[in-house]
Amino acid sequence: MREYTIVTIQQRQESGQVVLLISGRMDAENASQFEQKCTACIADGHTALVVDLGKLGYISSMGLRTFISVAKALQEKGGTLRICGLNGLVKQVFEITGLLELFRVYESVEAALMGG
Amino acid sequence: MAVANRSLSLAANSACLHSALEFVRTGALEANLPETRIGQLDLVIEEIFVNVCRYGYPDGGPGIVTFAYTVPALGELSVEIADQGTEFNPLAQGPPDLTLHLEDRPIGGLGIFLVKTLAPFITYRRDGDWNRLAFRISAGL
Repeated sequence: MREYTIVTIQQRQESGQVVLLISGRMDAENASQFEQKCTACIADGHTALVVDLGKLGYISSMGLRTFISVAKALQEKGGTLRICGLNGLVKQVFEITGLLELFRVYESVEAALMGG
Repeated sequence: MAVANRSLSLAANSACLHSALEFVRTGALEANLPETRIGQLDLVIEEIFVNVCRYGYPDGGPGIVTFAYTVPALGELSVEIADQGTEFNPLAQGPPDLTLHLEDRPIGGLGIFLVKTLAPFITYRRDGDWNRLAFRISAGL
């Protein structure tokens, strides 16, 4: 069987902001990992999160739920969620569901970091 | 003439999601669908299956979901997903309001909308005590 379960989240800090690189597939089985990671970042006082989806190949509505939930949590703290690297099916899913207009979306991590 | 016709019954438990995806993917490969379409197919299957697992058997009782596919011709795959859970037509759900601002936007409600967008000719019918969703996906659409 193909490996469906892997989503990896790599965290680094650039220009005082947390950058999360998400790779693999985000589905009903593992989407909570992303939300837990973001919740931990927010609890640590990081309210400017940049999420790089350049290596994410798949996302379902359970993944989208976590993005909306994290964005709401950040908004309540006066923070921001910036998303970059969208491509392929993941970009199509964000387009269909109107999330490109809902979130701050950038072409690259560099652009997201400067996004203000 | 159909070149393949297979079915698989799985427990209505999200732990079986990847078995469902793998089964339908087999049909997609037999139909010679391109990888971009298979990704969309994965999405449709996941959304329907998870929906049945979460809402089809609300009492937590054991239930099954049956997947069947046919390859009517190369480049085409017909899929039916059936369950004996609560009678429910997910396609009757109206579209979400995509214009709402973040503070007003519900967290959920996007799954069936994705299904109806990616499989626009999907149908529902109640057949005895079965819910049956059927759709066709082709290489070019």
